[in-house]
Amino acid sequence: MQYDLVIIGGGPAGTAAAVYAARKRMKAAIITETFGGQSVVSDDIQNWIGDGHISGVELAQKFEKHIKEYKEHLDIFEGSKVKNAEKIDGGFKVQTEDSKEYEAKTIFMAAGSRRRRLGIPGEDKYDGKGVAFCSTCDAPLFQGKDVAVIGGGNAGLEAAVDLLSYANKIYLMEKTDTLRGDKSTQEKIKGQDKVELIMHASAKEVVGEQFVTGLKYSDKDDAEQLLQVSGVFVEIGAVPNSDILSGLVKTNERGEIIVDHKTQQSSAEGIWAAGDVTDVLYKQNNISAGDAVKAILNIQEYLQKS
Amino acid sequence: MSKVVIYSTPTCAYCKLAKQYFEENKVEYEEKNVFEDLKAREEMVTKSQQMGVPVIDIDGQIIIGFNKPEIESALGK
Repeated sequence: MQYDLVIIGGGPAGTAAAVYAARKRMKAAIITETFGGQSVVSDDIQNWIGDGHISGVELAQKFEKHIKEYKEHLDIFEGSKVKNAEKIDGGFKVQTEDSKEYEAKTIFMAAGSRRRRLGIPGEDKYDGKGVAFCSTCDAPLFQGKDVAVIGGGNAGLEAAVDLLSYANKIYLMEKTDTLRGDKSTQEKIKGQDKVELIMHASAKEVVGEQFVTGLKYSDKDDAEQLLQVSGVFVEIGAVPNSDILSGLVKTNERGEIIVDHKTQQSSAEGIWAAGDVTDVLYKQNNISAGDAVKAILNIQEYLQKS
Repeated sequence: MSKVVIYSTPTCAYCKLAKQYFEENKVEYEEKNVFEDLKAREEMVTKSQQMGVPVIDIDGQIIIGFNKPEIESALGK
């Protein structure tokens, strides 16, 4: 069978798309690993319109509940991750990592982004063994330990703040000569004895035995240094999950899917996208949801014409 | 009935989602807070060979992270 529409992703964009597609009675399916998107790890979201304070977990649960209200008019494939999509006659074929296949006339792509990795030796080997990508989750496990945080943007500063209550010593490492994060977050770590800033530092290798014991980096004079740490928190931004559609749609130099911001249509006929996977200027939950609605309304017009 | 243990920290969102899942599906579980309980932390690291939370032990089968399909298959659902 062929769907009118397959929605990829269950964050704010995927959720908004699913609700609108079901209400329009499109023959639609949503495929997502989980609901909620990247803010699921946030303790307190204060800018989701209609909720002054909501945790990422609560928001995820509300998304899931909202989508499941339409379960009679929508196929929901949860716990499944899309691997790739290809063009076939009259539409597309979408394949998941658990080897399922779905055919659809159109695709709405909202797979978001994932954490950027350092790409240095030891990073994969010690993932979960001292190398951490979620400071809110894992900070308490580094009670009394020395840790390094890599990245001087907002995420890095926030990781340092999360670690303040637990770690013995926090080395905050930044590649350039300035911290880029918000001034208000910078103030929280300034004057803290346990935080040491290391500027012009470029991480080279994570070393350890069963778990991490240190981080090698090159300093401002290009000399190699070794920090004795048991934790390495990697906070160097995000990479869009656009590879699923590689070869089908045009992306910019950052790998973001280029869309027409009036309709959210990609360079490929039949594929729309919204949220962090696109070249949208501001990566925000509210914007992702709104852009998804634009896409679904435009997809509806397209399906009626075709 | 399966014996389910979840190793968690108070700040971990996926731990909350996993617990919520067990509650909705009427699965009894024991929670071990690896932030406060050092013995539980060692136990978790030994079982899973890593330090990320949540770790879920279902009848000796170790699942790292909130992986719903793996949890369902371990529970025999």
